[in-house]
Amino acid sequence: MNIKLHSFIAATALLASGAAMAQGKPVCGLNNGKAASGEPIALGAVVGKTGPDDFSASALASQAYFKCVNANGGINGRPVELTIVDDQWNPEVAAQAAAKLVKDRKVLAMVGSSSFVECGVNAKLYAQEDVMVIAGVGVPRECFFAKNYAPVNAGPRVSATVVAMYAAQTYKAKKMVCVIPNIPSLGNWACDGAKDWGKANGVDVDVIAIDPGSPDATSTMLQAAAKKPDAIILNVPKGIMVPMLAAAEQQGLAKKIHFVSSTPAYNFDVPKTIGAAWNGNFDIHLEFMPVESAGADNLNWKATMDAYGGKTDPRDSFAQAGYLAARIATEALLKMDPKKIDRAGVSAALRGVKGFKSDILCRPFYVGDGARHNANSSGPIAQVSGNGFKQVSQGCLMAADPELSDLRGQEKKLGL
Amino acid sequence: MPDLLPFLISGLGVGAVYALSGVGLVVLYRSSGVLNFAFGALGAVAAYVAWSALDHEWPLVLAVLAAVATSVAISLAYGRLLAPYLAEREPTVRSIGTLGLALVVLGLTEWFWGEQPRRLVLPTDSGAIEFADVRLTYTRVLGLVTAVSMMAAVGLLLARTRIGLAMRALADQRGLSAILGIRVLQVDTAAWVISGAFAGVCGLLLGNIVRLQATVLTFLVIPAFAAAIIGRLSSLPVTVAAGLGVGMLEAVAVLAPGFSPFRTATPFLIALLAIVSWRDVSRKA
Amino acid sequence: MNSVPPPEGAHFRVAGQADRPKGASTTPDSIQRERRAARLALLRMVLVVMAIGALVPWLANAYWIKTLTSSAALAVAAAGVALLYGQLGLVSLCQYALLGVGGWVALRVGHGLHWPFEACVLAGGLSAGVVGMLAGLPALRLKGLYLALVTLMLAGGFQVVISATGFPDGGAGFLGRISGSERLMLPRPAIAQGEGAYFTYVAAWLAAMLALLELHRRTRAGRSWALIRRGEAVAEGAGVNVLLYQTWAFGLAGVCAGVAGALLAGSVGQLDGRAFAASESVMLFALSLIGGAYHWAGALVAGLLLRAVPSLLVDLGVNGYLAMVFFGAALLHALITAPRGLAGQWLAALQRLRAKGRA
Repeated sequence: MNIKLHSFIAATALLASGAAMAQGKPVCGLNNGKAASGEPIALGAVVGKTGPDDFSASALASQAYFKCVNANGGINGRPVELTIVDDQWNPEVAAQAAAKLVKDRKVLAMVGSSSFVECGVNAKLYAQEDVMVIAGVGVPRECFFAKNYAPVNAGPRVSATVVAMYAAQTYKAKKMVCVIPNIPSLGNWACDGAKDWGKANGVDVDVIAIDPGSPDATSTMLQAAAKKPDAIILNVPKGIMVPMLAAAEQQGLAKKIHFVSSTPAYNFDVPKTIGAAWNGNFDIHLEFMPVESAGADNLNWKATMDAYGGKTDPRDSFAQAGYLAARIATEALLKMDPKKIDRAGVSAALRGVKGFKSDILCRPFYVGDGARHNANSSGPIAQVSGNGFKQVSQGCLMAADPELSDLRGQEKKLGL
Repeated sequence: MPDLLPFLISGLGVGAVYALSGVGLVVLYRSSGVLNFAFGALGAVAAYVAWSALDHEWPLVLAVLAAVATSVAISLAYGRLLAPYLAEREPTVRSIGTLGLALVVLGLTEWFWGEQPRRLVLPTDSGAIEFADVRLTYTRVLGLVTAVSMMAAVGLLLARTRIGLAMRALADQRGLSAILGIRVLQVDTAAWVISGAFAGVCGLLLGNIVRLQATVLTFLVIPAFAAAIIGRLSSLPVTVAAGLGVGMLEAVAVLAPGFSPFRTATPFLIALLAIVSWRDVSRKA
Repeated sequence: MNSVPPPEGAHFRVAGQADRPKGASTTPDSIQRERRAARLALLRMVLVVMAIGALVPWLANAYWIKTLTSSAALAVAAAGVALLYGQLGLVSLCQYALLGVGGWVALRVGHGLHWPFEACVLAGGLSAGVVGMLAGLPALRLKGLYLALVTLMLAGGFQVVISATGFPDGGAGFLGRISGSERLMLPRPAIAQGEGAYFTYVAAWLAAMLALLELHRRTRAGRSWALIRRGEAVAEGAGVNVLLYQTWAFGLAGVCAGVAGALLAGSVGQLDGRAFAASESVMLFALSLIGGAYHWAGALVAGLLLRAVPSLLVDLGVNGYLAMVFFGAALLHALITAPRGLAGQWLAALQRLRAKGRA
């Protein structure tokens, strides 16, 4: 078994102004303490708030960072105005939301969007209107296959691939089952990275597509267990994962099979909810460095949330993604002439993002003008530990998914 | 087939869920002529109340009581305050009215509790009976027992007691029953209280066996209608049997190659097949 | 079952059942006058819808044009629901699923065969019509709540299938799912590329479909439906082919739903399987009822309730779940206070006002 694991310690990238940063006081934008008062710069975000899950944390974190920027000189004196719209997990509403932001509000770019349905519906509009989207979290395939949509996160396919690689490496798992909702552009995509990687590396990965509305988690677990796998990869939303783990626990599978999961399990309510049976027994791929990691930028994110975010705004990986998206956009905007900020200019500036560094990310982020974007394709592994998580991998693992080969080529061209 | 048995047994859990909901639906229909679309929503709110109570470390008994009391209170409030305005309308309109209640209850529940993974753990979860490599937790056994005993109790109530008779009369001919001297309000109260209590108990079990998510629990009422349909909205034993059967078939469908991702369609398919195979169907309903 | 009285008010009545004073003789003259009034009412309806179609693009911004386009498309489907319920007293809880069928076929032929948009809409409408007829077959044996439940089971089955297979988006094969690139959008008609123009285009379809239903209502079909509603024995006694006319009504309602689905597909450019839950069909029925099943304006109100009111609440910054609470309460309120639907309530108020003005 020749697993190509590109593991490396995350670069402890320093913030440009990191030295000036004191604990508890956020650093953002020009960091000059002057409130911006010029003509506002309109940005937008589409989030799935009302529905099966709440994805709004990402845009709320972007909002917090922009507030901090506005209080610290803005974009060379101009404040940023972020309009957040809830798409209610409904494609029709997502289209309306995009029309409202792009056509009525005339936003210059979208920053911090996190939606399950938006990518498929609006990618075309964004391309037509030349609006760049630096999204927080993208989930279905369309979010990673659009010219104008660049999510900061890694996506479920990368996530499942990495965790499968980890299971093979750590538990010597030769046979795995990957469980995925049978939603189009997720069910036939997100587990295939692990499968394709497995094919090339002598690991047998079976895919079980489930109906996310099914009330019967026990049968799904029995179905997976009947294939006698060494590891079961859960690639499902946390709302569906919790009953599956409960069923697995009740059936006594927790002790026989290694359970691993893609990133949705990384949520602070999960360890307590799933209970003690999974303590030290459930590994999860993270799309970013752990929330409690001590990197300078990660601390700055928390400080920003404390100073400018709402008290109840979640401090989770969605929020990390939104914070990063806002930082990427701010850095790009700051390089522009404040009098000549228009949509085409902003889109060009965002496409030009290259080598954006943060200790929340494993590798520098880039956008580029490729036909698709998936710059984040690595991440560490954490394990449920007590009522929290602990990192168990040495640094980050990088997904060896054959589908990413075009991006690897692009990265080489960009000199990354 | 040797590996069929585990799925049959695991299907019993969901089957109990369908059976319970089916009985709850049929009870209200037989006693007040309303198909309760809000049944799932009432159960969901009960389950959330129980979760919150347990989270605040209330004793289990109090938590369960609080949960059932909540669903009974909402059900009763609707039945006494709003349902009478629709009493003279046709059954479909009366049933659609409960959809309004379902939306209100679901919206409030989701808004108040918010999105966060939750699990309703009952002490009966830890123990289990083992069959053929499958463990049937005591909660599921409890679900089965509750479904059967509720069926028996309600069956007796409707068939043998005065209030049961009055309920049936009211469901058929409301105006006429009132003229005959049946205390409409009293009977209505009883019907909605029973239905609310059923919803509460079902909700607790559903929240444990399925998952604690208000939207899912609310719309789980739709496949539960399948069991009620097969019971022709009147026979409680058939409803229970149908619920169990549907649950087990849905679980076994995992093994059918190609059908597995579609197995949630099983309740609908069985209900449709049952209807097509009926010979004499009342056109009144 | 037939506790709802037959429609009242001059222009939504089956011709020949007008409220003549008792004892007045039916002269050829009065029949002619009535027919002229009916034609005028039909013309007025088409003009009103077209006027809305022409005005909205001038008045609304992109968000509201998009929202109202969805509303207008769903109004077509609501008109079909209202036809079944208002004319025949039949409850179908699978009309939103039929909308999905129409949308699926329209997307399939649009992407696969590159038919012109109108042909896609027609194909979607007709296939949903056929499926609607099949779904209506149990109605020959079942009525009332049973029929409602059967159709609900169909909607539930559709939900499972469509959320697993999704809608065609330009890929190859029967299911037409694309992989490895962006989704393709269903091209809109050449005359209605822009959002505003597309709204006008949808309004034109709405007017045409409403006129089609209205014409049915005023001719032999409408009379047969009225008789069937009174009782099948009556209808058969009067020589009405119950099988034909009842199935025809289901077919028509299916066509309405299918056309709505195709128009919706054209509006967004694609459809998403998860938006076609069985509960949507129940909502469509409930809101058609609240809009009013006895007047064409009821369909417009239903369309607005389904899409524009939620959008308004969200636009005002109301939490999505609280909007749901408000919606549920409004549903109950309308159901209780307006047995003939909001359209019926408002028209009755209008008539009272007019009567007062005359007096």
